[in-house]
Amino acid sequence: MRYEEKVPNGKMVCFDVECKEGKTTKVLITGDFFLHPEDAIAGIEKSLTGISADCTEIQQKISGALGNAELIGATPEDLARIFRKAVLCGE
Amino acid sequence: MWRVINYQENSAAMNMAIDEALSDSVAKGDDPVIRFYGWKPSAVSIGYFQSLEKEVDLDQCKKHGVEFVRRRTGGGAVYHDEEITYSIIAREALFPGDILESYREICRCIVDSLALLGIDSEFKPINDIITNGKKISGNAQTRRNGVLLQHGTVIYGVDVDKMFSLLKVPDEKIKDKLIATVKERVTSVKQQKGVSRDELLQALIQGFTRGKNFRFVSLSGQEEERAVRLAEERYRRNEWNFWR
Repeated sequence: MRYEEKVPNGKMVCFDVECKEGKTTKVLITGDFFLHPEDAIAGIEKSLTGISADCTEIQQKISGALGNAELIGATPEDLARIFRKAVLCGE
Repeated sequence: MWRVINYQENSAAMNMAIDEALSDSVAKGDDPVIRFYGWKPSAVSIGYFQSLEKEVDLDQCKKHGVEFVRRRTGGGAVYHDEEITYSIIAREALFPGDILESYREICRCIVDSLALLGIDSEFKPINDIITNGKKISGNAQTRRNGVLLQHGTVIYGVDVDKMFSLLKVPDEKIKDKLIATVKERVTSVKQQKGVSRDELLQALIQGFTRGKNFRFVSLSGQEEERAVRLAEERYRRNEWNFWR
């Protein structure tokens, strides 16, 4: 399922998620945001795979995956919100 | 001493490949580079994290002979037609560690260049330059292997209708409204001042080199070879362009 949102004063973030029995099996993040280093995107996607929309630690997982990487145009909170909506769209 | 590579036009793949080849040589210790270029044929570039199929109408691109390429930098889709593109490639240490501050510092060169043409503009975070409230330049940066690459466009002329025939919009029903909004929000050097494209280029060269020791150069043989290889092995390949 796909859900996208233009972050206020930021950039467009889109989540494409595939779910099985309420849990994500595939997560793809696209958009016009910036991430330094760019390779950190794979870690974020991996951290969100295998979880459900009611997971209480989505934002922490994103922040953990980011580590020292710098996200510009969106925050981990924005990503968590948009991810949750994408998963809920698929249910 | 800075190397300045004067304006040349290339294919989309080659333009991105040259940026990467120059980044590689700077990473190995070569002098930093300022480069000016155009896109021939015209092209759409998409940001590193964007989906080509979601952003670009590939059938329309084919129909109009417009190329497409994924950039190594984030940011949005850009239709490169009547514009001058620049790249600045240097060791990260030459610029502020704070990414937004480094955008501001590099974009100051463009603001200074436009001022030489009598156009008042200002940097608007995250990555735009605006004049009279309208976007006139977009910029994008990446930092890899200790090297900062920032490239961006200075819009000389803009055909918003053509641009939207090539880019997809989320909802076709609001396309007309979106086009009207973009026409209100984007401007060009041509709209602001009756100067030629060459005058813009000369102003950009002046703005970017002010206060720097520099020399005009061409790509080295090694850089040229590496760029040709990267264009073939990366930037023309579906694996790269359709990565997301």
